[in-house]
Amino acid sequence: MGRFRDLRVLLPFGLTIAIWWGLKAGLDISDKLLVSPPRVWDAFVVLATRGILAEYVSTSLSMIGIATLISFGFGVPLGFAVGTNRYAARALEGFLRYLQGISGIAWLPLAILWSGFTHTTTLAIVIYTLIVPIVFNTMTGVRAIPENYILALRSLGASRLRIVTDVYFPGALPSIVVGTRLGMGYGWRALIASEMLVRQGGLGDLIFGARTFGQIDRIMVGMIVIGTLYIVVDRLLVQPVETMTLARWGVLRK
Amino acid sequence: MSADKIVVSGFRHFFQSDSGPVQATGQIDLTIREGEVVTLVGPSGCGKTTLLKAIAGFIAPTEGEIRCDGRLVRAPGRDRGVVFQELAILPWRTVRRNIAHGLEIARVAKAERDKTVERLIGLMGLVGFEDRYPHELSGGMRQRVAVARTWAADPDVILMDEPFAAVDAMTRLTLQEELGRLCATTRKTVFFITHSVEEAVFLGDRVLVMTRRPGTIKATLDVPRHGKGGRDWDSFTGDPEMRAISEQVMHLVHAERV
Ligand SMILES: Nc1ncnc2c1ncn2[C@@H]1O[C@H](COP(=O)(O)OP(=O)(O)OP(=O)(O)O)[C@@H](O)[C@H]1O
Ligand SMILES: [Mg+2]
Repeated sequence: MGRFRDLRVLLPFGLTIAIWWGLKAGLDISDKLLVSPPRVWDAFVVLATRGILAEYVSTSLSMIGIATLISFGFGVPLGFAVGTNRYAARALEGFLRYLQGISGIAWLPLAILWSGFTHTTTLAIVIYTLIVPIVFNTMTGVRAIPENYILALRSLGASRLRIVTDVYFPGALPSIVVGTRLGMGYGWRALIASEMLVRQGGLGDLIFGARTFGQIDRIMVGMIVIGTLYIVVDRLLVQPVETMTLARWGVLRK
Repeated sequence: MSADKIVVSGFRHFFQSDSGPVQATGQIDLTIREGEVVTLVGPSGCGKTTLLKAIAGFIAPTEGEIRCDGRLVRAPGRDRGVVFQELAILPWRTVRRNIAHGLEIARVAKAERDKTVERLIGLMGLVGFEDRYPHELSGGMRQRVAVARTWAADPDVILMDEPFAAVDAMTRLTLQEELGRLCATTRKTVFFITHSVEEAVFLGDRVLVMTRRPGTIKATLDVPRHGKGGRDWDSFTGDPEMRAISEQVMHLVHAERV
């Protein structure tokens, strides 16, 4: 059964490639607009064997990795601080929603004016994108914890720190993980967009640079790698963590 | 005559709401003696939970003061354990670790902690469920865990807010008998809120009846106990004296129907 499901997942991919190939051959589309799948494969082999791809990939992956760590490190405590304070939560909820309307990309002009075409600019954009869902979800997670959990612990003599470690953290953990996963998805998109403008390496730089030389094959390799890396990181790294925490701690909201 | 444990004097409480202050209780004066089980019945919304939360130290009284062992209550403390109606044991801790929580916080050594937890697991009929999580237990068992957690921390005073209200009627009878035994053997000072007149008379050494909101204490009835130790429902229902007291309380409560 599982095996059939796996195959079904691949079906749309195969179909897309078939249509792409069919259109290219059937309508005789110029190489300036679209290249065939084998040409993309050839470009992939060239980029991969020369180590070019690895360099761009590692730039993008380390950027998203660093941004995730920083956003987690600052976003979770911030979410706790806000979530445990009813007044702060009410004050900040609207503001956070508002910020979600201004995408990371919309900050690029300002960020470039402030820090130029640098990794710092890109990192700032990605952290901004990532941290908002982390703060937001930590906050909602904390606020969803029944007050009785906290009252009961206080009458057992628990200190504030003890309540954070024994109630707030485990109670909000499923929500924190969900927020981080969401943030990483948004952050990945913001990263690619920022790299396209900042042009200091990364997969966004790869595909935008290839455009200047009309290298459609490289553009398409870049796009496929961007999608593949997202799925691989999300499904093989982030989702298992989420499933694990939900199974272990998620009983709260069964 | 034992010493006064909890003294509530001139207590009145108001909550702030968007449409101004809401009076939650009328003036309440109350003394609970050491080792006494005091039960409280009253109509919904009369301020029972408010009074309990003030004794626990969760809310500061708008007026009046509350003393425990002569000291002013300002904050929650280990000397006053609380059992809520529901939703108070932690779903990510096993039965054993929930019960041990208060002892962990008090940094009691592991060996002693285990001994206490083991004893309460036996007393509360939780043997075989030590390593289960709350969502794997019935509502009645979860309440046993909550009761055991509070008892394990060994507070002087135990405050209970309708602890068995969400439990099915059959299980409730058992839990009430178990609690009665626990109270009798440990001689804790207990303040117990309930909607059930029978439960109040069955468990209490003294039953308090409150008026409707803003509630004040309108009557206090002593429940004489013949013999020591546990109480059970069979002898309770067969006892004309108990029936008479229950009826009396029932009349007082009915007069307050909203
Ligand atoms: N946090 C609050 N803010 C505003 N009003 C409140 C708050 N808590 C309680 N009240 C009001 O105070 C009054 C007393 O509430 P309380 O919870 O003490 O009643 P109760 O006797 O425990 O009722 P029940 O039997 O239904 O549990 C009620 O009218 C209630 O609406
Ligand atoms: Mg109540």
